Amino acid sequence: MSDITASIIHSVEAINRDYICALDKLDMSAWLACFSKQGTYTFISEENERRGFPIAFMLDDCYERLQDRVVQVDEIQADSTEHYNMRHFTQLTSIEKVGTNRYQTNFNYSVYYTQKDTNTSKILCVGRYEDIIVIDEQGKGYFEQRKAVTDTNVLPRYIAYPV
Amino acid sequence: MPSKGNKGPALDWPAKYNEIPKAVFEMEELWPEELEKIFYGDEWHPIVHRAEIPNPGDYKAAELGEMPIFAVHGEDGQIRVFQNTCTHRGTSLITESSGNKKEIECPYHRWLFNLEGDLVGCPNSREFTPGFDAKDFSLPALRVEEFCGLYWVTMSDTVAPLKEYLGESFYEPLSRILGGDGRLKLIGYQKVTYDCNWKAYCDNDGYHAPLLHKAFALLNWQGGKGTQVVTPNGHLSFESELKIPTDIDALKDGSILDFKGTSTSTGSLVLMSFPLTVFSKHMDMLNVRYAFPKGPKGLEVHYAYFAHEDDDDEMVKHRIRQSSNLLGPCGLISMEDASIFSRIDKGNKTPGNAIFQKGVKDEFALPLTVGQNDESGNLPRWEHYRKLMGFERTKS
Repeated sequence: MSDITASIIHSVEAINRDYICALDKLDMSAWLACFSKQGTYTFISEENERRGFPIAFMLDDCYERLQDRVVQVDEIQADSTEHYNMRHFTQLTSIEKVGTNRYQTNFNYSVYYTQKDTNTSKILCVGRYEDIIVIDEQGKGYFEQRKAVTDTNVLPRYIAYPV
Repeated sequence: MPSKGNKGPALDWPAKYNEIPKAVFEMEELWPEELEKIFYGDEWHPIVHRAEIPNPGDYKAAELGEMPIFAVHGEDGQIRVFQNTCTHRGTSLITESSGNKKEIECPYHRWLFNLEGDLVGCPNSREFTPGFDAKDFSLPALRVEEFCGLYWVTMSDTVAPLKEYLGESFYEPLSRILGGDGRLKLIGYQKVTYDCNWKAYCDNDGYHAPLLHKAFALLNWQGGKGTQVVTPNGHLSFESELKIPTDIDALKDGSILDFKGTSTSTGSLVLMSFPLTVFSKHMDMLNVRYAFPKGPKGLEVHYAYFAHEDDDDEMVKHRIRQSSNLLGPCGLISMEDASIFSRIDKGNKTPGNAIFQKGVKDEFALPLTVGQNDESGNLPRWEHYRKLMGFERTKS
């Protein structure tokens, strides 16, 4: 990590923190704000990833799709979902510089959920984030790619929100 | 109310064909009977498509009822389905959901089977029982039939051949879901557990679609002409026109809803074979939903998605984008179904009957003619279930 300064680590940790806090509050506008205008989001099983199968649980491969994800969560499915709160726990595992102000980062994650009708908490999924983060001149990071690869190949329930 | 009879659990089934006792979703003691009479009975169950195990040695693990099984592509090109157990002491042989093996070895005593299921090695066999013959210890194979590359199994020696069992009203649209000729390419899975009895999962109907799915209204989808065909043994097929407006205000990226290889006149095909497998083709998504009950409560659904071998790169990419965002346990147009499965299950812990209304013209007759948006299409399946389980209908 010789190219990786403390300020880079700070920026990377900060955008990840913004991201997980947005989801834990289910603030989808704040979630969208974590991405650059070239940003993509993928939520895929480890099985598909390992075997080279491209099918994902969520595949927002352009900024317009990210915007549509916000509409899906906030409007389309609002009254039919059994809602739940999330708590994300993440750990930075690697940073590598891959271009000017561009960094490939990995986090491990685990996500707990508390269903609003039962008020019991369980593990929603665990896995790793494979990210490309760009950092602007003010030191603010944005996801150009956030790919959540989940070891939980069989989800414990349907998943209504990004992780 | 449920009552115990001499021949296993009994339910007093309502006299009216459109009433289903809610207890049928909740009585745990029904499960062993369902295993015996349905999952190990005179029914066919799809297990694997050739596209999922395209090369010799490829295998896929599955379950039939509670019995672990696996499908394997032999060196001879044949696909066989075996019970997942060593013929020696019963150790399970396949421990991963899929993979590739040159041969199948039991780690316990190193008994070795080839891909065709023959026992080809067993250490120290000179010291076995005097009459031991390796030929008697091949892997137990299930009866298998193939349709458009999809392999079905049954424990029954007496059930009709597969096409006869499915009937033309089912297998003809099924062939279209399977690409017309079965030349498919697997593009991945979505797997999920639903917190409900397996019968709640497969009780979805034609009535709900335009009402539950807000996406349909938001996207201004207009259901066009359509049909729903049911068979007396409980198979169901829907075929509907899908009209999608050219400008979709609600979405920034409307391309996700494009029809590239499909006419809108048959935009939606949804089939369900008894007891619980769903097949669908919405727009350009080709999908088989293998479902595995985990006892009386909970089931695992494996959504398998396919492209066609003749697709160009653009078409494959389109199928991937649609399939990853519209269907499955997170999908824009199907996640609401998932929420209903568990809500049905919770609500049916109350007494009484679930009562079907839409399309029911005579409460005391079984409807086989069903409109596109009727829920009465589920009733032949319930009647088939009732008969298999031996529940007596109360007198009206």
